[in-house]
Amino acid sequence: MNENLFSSFITPTMMGLPIVILIIMFPTLLFPTPTRLINNRLVSAQQWLAQLILKQMMMMHSPKGRTWALMLISLIMFIGSTNLLGLLPHSFTPTTQLSMNLGMAIPLWAGAVITGFRYKTKASLAHFLPQGTPVPLIPMLVIIETISLFIQPMALAVRLTANITAGHLLMHLIGGAALALISISPTTALITFIILILLTILEFAVALIQAYVFTLLVSLYLHDNT
Amino acid sequence: MPQLDTSTWLVTIIAMILTLFVLIQLKFHKYSYPLSPAPKTFKSTSFPTPWETKWTKIYSPLLLPQQ
Repeated sequence: MNENLFSSFITPTMMGLPIVILIIMFPTLLFPTPTRLINNRLVSAQQWLAQLILKQMMMMHSPKGRTWALMLISLIMFIGSTNLLGLLPHSFTPTTQLSMNLGMAIPLWAGAVITGFRYKTKASLAHFLPQGTPVPLIPMLVIIETISLFIQPMALAVRLTANITAGHLLMHLIGGAALALISISPTTALITFIILILLTILEFAVALIQAYVFTLLVSLYLHDNT
Repeated sequence: MPQLDTSTWLVTIIAMILTLFVLIQLKFHKYSYPLSPAPKTFKSTSFPTPWETKWTKIYSPLLLPQQ
């Protein structure tokens, strides 16, 4: 049962060829490039959505932080579309792979921190010591703040992985239970099926929320450092 | 847990870096949000001479110096 349960998280290769590359690149096909002044409905709707997200996200940043606008909008669209596509049956969700989430979190976090060190060295070092700490506590607090800084990319990656993986696992388990219960007691199977429907609705929300949270936190780290 | 099998990590990370930092950004940087077209008010490049800013009686045709 263990083997079967986790089989949807194995990186897909077909006869030795890593088709995971194609699966990761697939969401880019869903965002057509606008070529006209007035575009078709799909492109216009996506442009509208991008503008909505951009206005909300980049409002709190300084001009230096706003140079990251393209990166952040790409990030939220990529994670959101990947998570939503993963809700289709039998699909592989790249964001369940810890490798990919670490590969996203570490460079973005490191970029924000290094930007802070280069342009506002004193201010970014000052983050290690909150204002108004009593003098004897200073060494311990610096250590704690350093640990909390270095745990940020790990937390970003593991949060996304764990949320999406856990959601998918739950759907597998409850779906399997509903299927097995049909022959035993149809009423219980119906209840389980209703739970599955509610869980699917939750998973839609989680897919979008996780994308939002990831991007928001990167944006926050950026704000601290610009 | 299959996510901890590090043999596939390199492929996944390279594919993600290519997609996120190149492909998706190429799509999104083409988005443009032009302002709605509106007529522009023109400032004239020639300025009226001081005696032309005010109409005075001397400009009426019958009062101009006769040729």
